[in-house]
Amino acid sequence: MLAARFAEVVLPHLGDALSLARWLTGNAADAEDVVQEACLKAHAGIAGFAGGNPRAWLLTIVRNASYTWMARNRPRSVVAVGGLADLDDVSPPPDNDADSPEAALIAKANSAAVEAAIARLPDAFRETLVLRDINGLSYREIAAMLGVPQGTVMSRLARARSLLMTDIGGRHHEPA
Amino acid sequence: MSPHENRPREDGLPQDPQDMKLMIHALVDGELDAAAALAVERRIAADPELAAEHARILALRKAVAGMPRPTVSDDFLARIAAIAEAKGADEAEAGQAATTTAAPQPQQQQDKIVEMRPRASARRFASFDWRQMAASIVLTAFLASGATQWLMVQNAPDSFAIAVANGHRRSLLAATPVDIVSSDRHTVKPWLDGRIGVSPPAPDMAKDGYALLGGRVEVIGDKPMPALVYRHHEHLITLVAAPRQNDVKSMPATDDLSAGGFLLVHWTDGAFSYWAVSDAERPALDDFVARFRAAIVANPAAGSPG
Repeated sequence: MLAARFAEVVLPHLGDALSLARWLTGNAADAEDVVQEACLKAHAGIAGFAGGNPRAWLLTIVRNASYTWMARNRPRSVVAVGGLADLDDVSPPPDNDADSPEAALIAKANSAAVEAAIARLPDAFRETLVLRDINGLSYREIAAMLGVPQGTVMSRLARARSLLMTDIGGRHHEPA
Repeated sequence: MSPHENRPREDGLPQDPQDMKLMIHALVDGELDAAAALAVERRIAADPELAAEHARILALRKAVAGMPRPTVSDDFLARIAAIAEAKGADEAEAGQAATTTAAPQPQQQQDKIVEMRPRASARRFASFDWRQMAASIVLTAFLASGATQWLMVQNAPDSFAIAVANGHRRSLLAATPVDIVSSDRHTVKPWLDGRIGVSPPAPDMAKDGYALLGGRVEVIGDKPMPALVYRHHEHLITLVAAPRQNDVKSMPATDDLSAGGFLLVHWTDGAFSYWAVSDAERPALDDFVARFRAAIVANPAAGSPG
């Protein structure tokens, strides 16, 4: 019944898998290739899925497949995610109240602006933000997936959001 | 920025303003327990700086959530479904080649299931449009956030019964009582599975006088639930199948329930807790329940995701 299990665990979450792969690889066509590879691995490993959140389980495989894919196809662009000491710093985001935009300005941002701003985020921040705000995983699930403490997840998420706010809030338009 | 550095608080929250910001993120993300959430909300109410940050985070989340999602194209879904098909066939062949003495019958049966299911779901995904995508995203959000509510609902079978009855009443008033019209469980089950990740047994009992009309999604206590709709003469029977949360033993049918003017029968079998509701007569409803239970015992394949 592995096939039935595959259809139950994997197929409903293909949209999320594509979202994540699209944000990690940077484009939609590559995302399909990555998700297809991830699904092959998911199928091979479906017997090892021991319950829990199937979305988190699949997205973990998609994330690994994304980095494997990028290492193979775009070796120059791969950054050692998780290896950057400054990103793993659990210190909270810098205090930028002074130039934080109003909530109303953020709410007015259009999809294209939000998308561009997310694309400009440093990789580790973008990954955490996508897993939380687009894929809807919990802090605990993200921490387990990335192999970092929950405090690091919280810090990265706060910094990612803070960068997005200043970016789409319109106060700064710094190039990436 | 605020005087609280000099005046320690008793609410257990961080004194550091930056750490306090992390708590606001955690509040927005639903990661705080009730006590901590209350404490953070009080701080937000008392401090305009924190309130502004809270509003910004909410606005940002909304902006991010409003971005278009990638669509799962039919072509792509077919490619992924083909993985299971191809591999399933390989495994079956390998299994038969390796152990000729092993009973080949179940292997063949497995092949059949492998073929049916992905195609059925591919067909259903083909009809995705953005409204259905949006609905399923909303339902997923409910699924993720409804755990506490769900526990409360579990402890309140009465309100659950009323919700089931109300859902049935709405379905009678709506243009169609089902979201997916099909008498074929191979269509209904993958549809439900694709929407909410749950697919209850859906035997067609037309020969018993209970024709499967199709299925829909009910939201009860913030939790999406699969609902099957059967027709018996001029009456509709809605069968809500709530995935079982704990290890309750199979429960015999309790047949003295009624809510909102409808008769209900509640029982538990296998992985689901069932609620049947109808405006049919009591004997007809009881007969339906007995035949449904017999059907899933007689044909477990209808109860597995096949």
